[in-house]
Amino acid sequence: MTHKLSDGGQVLEVGTLARVEGEGGMHISFRDGRVEDVQLRIYEPPRFYEGFLRGRAWTEPPDITARICGICPVAYQFSSCLAIEDACGVTVPDAIRTVRRLLYCGEWIESHALHVFLLHAPDFLGYDGAIEMARDHPHVVEMGLRIKKAGNDLMTVVGGRSVHPVNVRVGGFYRMPTRVELHRLRPALARALDDAVATVSLVATFDVPDWEQPWTYLSLRPDHGYPIEGGRVVTSTGADWDVRDFPQHVTEVHVPHSTALHARLDGEDTPYVVGPLARYTLNHHRLSPLAKDVAHEAGLGSTCRNPFRSIVVRSVELVYALEEALRIVDAWADGVAPSVPVPARAGEGFGATEAPRGVLFHRYRLDDDGTILDAQIVPPTSQNQPSIEADLRVMAERWTVLSDDDLSHRCEHAIRNYDPCISCATHFLDLRVERS
Amino acid sequence: MSALVVGLGSPDRGDDAVGPAVARGVAALGLPGVRVLTHEDPTDLVELWTGAELAVVVDGVRSGAPAGTLHVVDAGVGTRGLAHPWTATAHGGTHAFGLATAVELARALDRLPPRLVVVGVEVAVLDHGAPLSGPVAHAVGPAVDAVADLVAPVRSAASEVPRVRR
Repeated sequence: MTHKLSDGGQVLEVGTLARVEGEGGMHISFRDGRVEDVQLRIYEPPRFYEGFLRGRAWTEPPDITARICGICPVAYQFSSCLAIEDACGVTVPDAIRTVRRLLYCGEWIESHALHVFLLHAPDFLGYDGAIEMARDHPHVVEMGLRIKKAGNDLMTVVGGRSVHPVNVRVGGFYRMPTRVELHRLRPALARALDDAVATVSLVATFDVPDWEQPWTYLSLRPDHGYPIEGGRVVTSTGADWDVRDFPQHVTEVHVPHSTALHARLDGEDTPYVVGPLARYTLNHHRLSPLAKDVAHEAGLGSTCRNPFRSIVVRSVELVYALEEALRIVDAWADGVAPSVPVPARAGEGFGATEAPRGVLFHRYRLDDDGTILDAQIVPPTSQNQPSIEADLRVMAERWTVLSDDDLSHRCEHAIRNYDPCISCATHFLDLRVERS
Repeated sequence: MSALVVGLGSPDRGDDAVGPAVARGVAALGLPGVRVLTHEDPTDLVELWTGAELAVVVDGVRSGAPAGTLHVVDAGVGTRGLAHPWTATAHGGTHAFGLATAVELARALDRLPPRLVVVGVEVAVLDHGAPLSGPVAHAVGPAVDAVADLVAPVRSAASEVPRVRR
């Protein structure tokens, strides 16, 4: 729907942008054929999680913060566990860390499969959504559902539920999965791995605009392997710091057009990016041989800075997560204690993990009896909001000659490159374009 | 020859737990030939109901009707799609993928069961950790009865029902 402005310009109401989680709008104004302003307007009401964590016990954040998101609850659970354990001076044994990595693989598999097949692929294949795409490409959608179900089943066995797992506690788990339970998952995981390899080949054929974003990339990097359940913070500018230093480097600011805070790195006005492209670009050398091979065959180098190729990188990460899950399942031996004690003490703790869509940081300050005095959560989409706007500013400038409909679709596509998770609430995102 | 009952929803989000509550009620009846599940992610439905002659999915809905109102809608093969009140409920589920989308995706894939009935219970309260609201708690019994009635013909006529199409 197009509206004339009193000054002769135009406002285009494009309706709703589905396949994005959360509530917000996009405002793009043009003047004299140039992009004048781009705003990702998030108007979803603040949810005050950090506020109502105050006064709660140190044992509660994994269950409370899991409810922030229905697609990445494990990220919230483990970032909070790491921060609380850090505050209490506890490091969990490697076996518990390994099971955390396994559960986190389940979350990556289900989240990436949902986004690649049901939310993002329709953009490349020219469909309004997964239902329309399924009529012409049923085997593609069936493949995506199979991969996603393998992730859901892994979440159910290790986490107790496929959505909002209930088996996670500070210090570990309430119950360890058994070798028999894990081995029942093996056939589906192995088939999903084959499907994921085929997925990389498929999405590598998608047409993408030729553009590389110049923004700084930020991800975690652990001692070993590709970053998932922890690590130090590294950036494409060569920085390398401990998660405890996150608040010194990343600050959050209010902007008038968004109820979500915008994150800035080292006080810079230029955006930075977290998520698959940053993880891949900063940790390509940590991928498995198979994941490296399929990435190479898909035409990816050791870095990827084209946000429209994020679907290829996500698919490579699917391969890696499924391989990791199989590796851990095959090596699992029963008899590991499910948790270690985490006695309360006064202090401040910091934790970060790699949610499917990027680094998720938690900080807690505890009283000596474990009461939470202060909490801070920096989700990936807060960090990516400025880069989403910056991408749109660049791309919309290229697309000014397009019709309003085509421009809208392209902009929605550019937003979905980030798989943004504005909240776990189920709402719409309206796109609004002004031309004058 | 089988019937599947799925209670869809989150057990810790107020009236969103009505699907699992009804499923537990149906499971307690011990109906032979009826498989009963609780589940949270609608994207798995297409796999879950594979092989079932009849699938009954129980879920909370928000259409503006009084809390506790039951909506029983045939949504399987030959129907025109899951419309009101699910379209009024919008997405549901994770990442904008709710029950209505799952049903229509299965229809597009030709993966609907021969008969699919969706039982919706109008919800009022969806707060974290809240129990079922009064009107919705009162609707659980009638919803269990409605589901039992739906699966009864399949059980009694099991020998006459043709094999499921795969």
